[in-house]
Amino acid sequence: MGRMNRNRICAAIVLLGLAALAGPAQVIPPAAQNRSIVKTDAVQYLFPEQVTVPAGKATPVTLHFRVAQGLHINSHTPSDEFLIPTSFSIPDGMGVQLGAATYPPGTIISLAFDPKTKLSVYTGEFIVQARIVATPGNHLVQGKLHYQACDQSQCMPPKTINVPIDVIGK
Amino acid sequence: MRRNTIILFVVLFILAIFAWAGWANWEYRKQAAEKLLSGAGQGELVPAPGGGAMNYVSPLNGKPAPAFALQNLSGSKVPLASYKGKAVMINFWATWCGPCKVETPWIVELRNKYAAQGFEVLGIDTEGDDLQASDKAGWSKAEANANKFVTEMKVPYPVLLDGDSISRDYGGLDDLPASFFVDRNGKVVAASVGLTSESDIEGNIKKALAD
Repeated sequence: MGRMNRNRICAAIVLLGLAALAGPAQVIPPAAQNRSIVKTDAVQYLFPEQVTVPAGKATPVTLHFRVAQGLHINSHTPSDEFLIPTSFSIPDGMGVQLGAATYPPGTIISLAFDPKTKLSVYTGEFIVQARIVATPGNHLVQGKLHYQACDQSQCMPPKTINVPIDVIGK
Repeated sequence: MRRNTIILFVVLFILAIFAWAGWANWEYRKQAAEKLLSGAGQGELVPAPGGGAMNYVSPLNGKPAPAFALQNLSGSKVPLASYKGKAVMINFWATWCGPCKVETPWIVELRNKYAAQGFEVLGIDTEGDDLQASDKAGWSKAEANANKFVTEMKVPYPVLLDGDSISRDYGGLDDLPASFFVDRNGKVVAASVGLTSESDIEGNIKKALAD
């Protein structure tokens, strides 16, 4: 009994020691706490993560995206030749080809600093319908969404994000 | 007794492994925090004196403007150093930037107003780091767009290309428009990010011209 108690005491000391050692590792340096968090992407791909399509046949797949609150991105058909349209693509060599992509119409807005100019934009959640043709098998596709985002008074550089989709051609 | 010794050594060994894991985790977090801090030298928004709108405070304020030499639309290299003795507004913009288009006529007007006092604007086209260096067609289109923009907006001051190549020196340029106001001694006296107002721009020009 005495030995069992000794072993339990040893185990308790070990556990307390481990907890004490792991504690400081959770501390974030104070200076880092005061800094703003690293900016996230203006557009986030939501779903689907995986689709199953008939191999060799053009099949529509609906891709869901979200624009961060307070921001807008140009639609696929922006109102000015200089503005960068939102576009989706699939690089070659992934076993999946993009036949065509269909984009929603943009919402027409104007901004406080330039009320005369109308912009065709996406805000909040939007979808892109992609007609894809997959060869037989499992393909991890890294599609690309290219866009350019602004808020009420400033604009971010054009950006391309990955759109990862597991495409199963059956 | 022997069994107790073995158990003790096993316990100490496990303890040592966890101690190392804790130290490694702490080191990783420390390095990540340092990386975050070093990347955060992009300026902060601080309340303006007397409240109201937020002012942008660049880490470059009070420091020499980082040197550069960029190509203008005619293909000649233009160094910042050649403007020593003049007050300069370094204005980063892009053709796809709506707020940039709004402020350009104001900048043109102010440049013409203060040019005689030794003020100049350097408009630096910053089409975005999305363009790969090897994308000749993309860069050619960017240059053509810049030419067209400059003609349409009747820009009288030098316009330089490839602002992305110096963006890091000027705080990363996550957002446009971004302007840095440099005095006659080459020191940054004010900066702004995003669309402000013509009067704010004029105020910063006066700071750059002040002795």
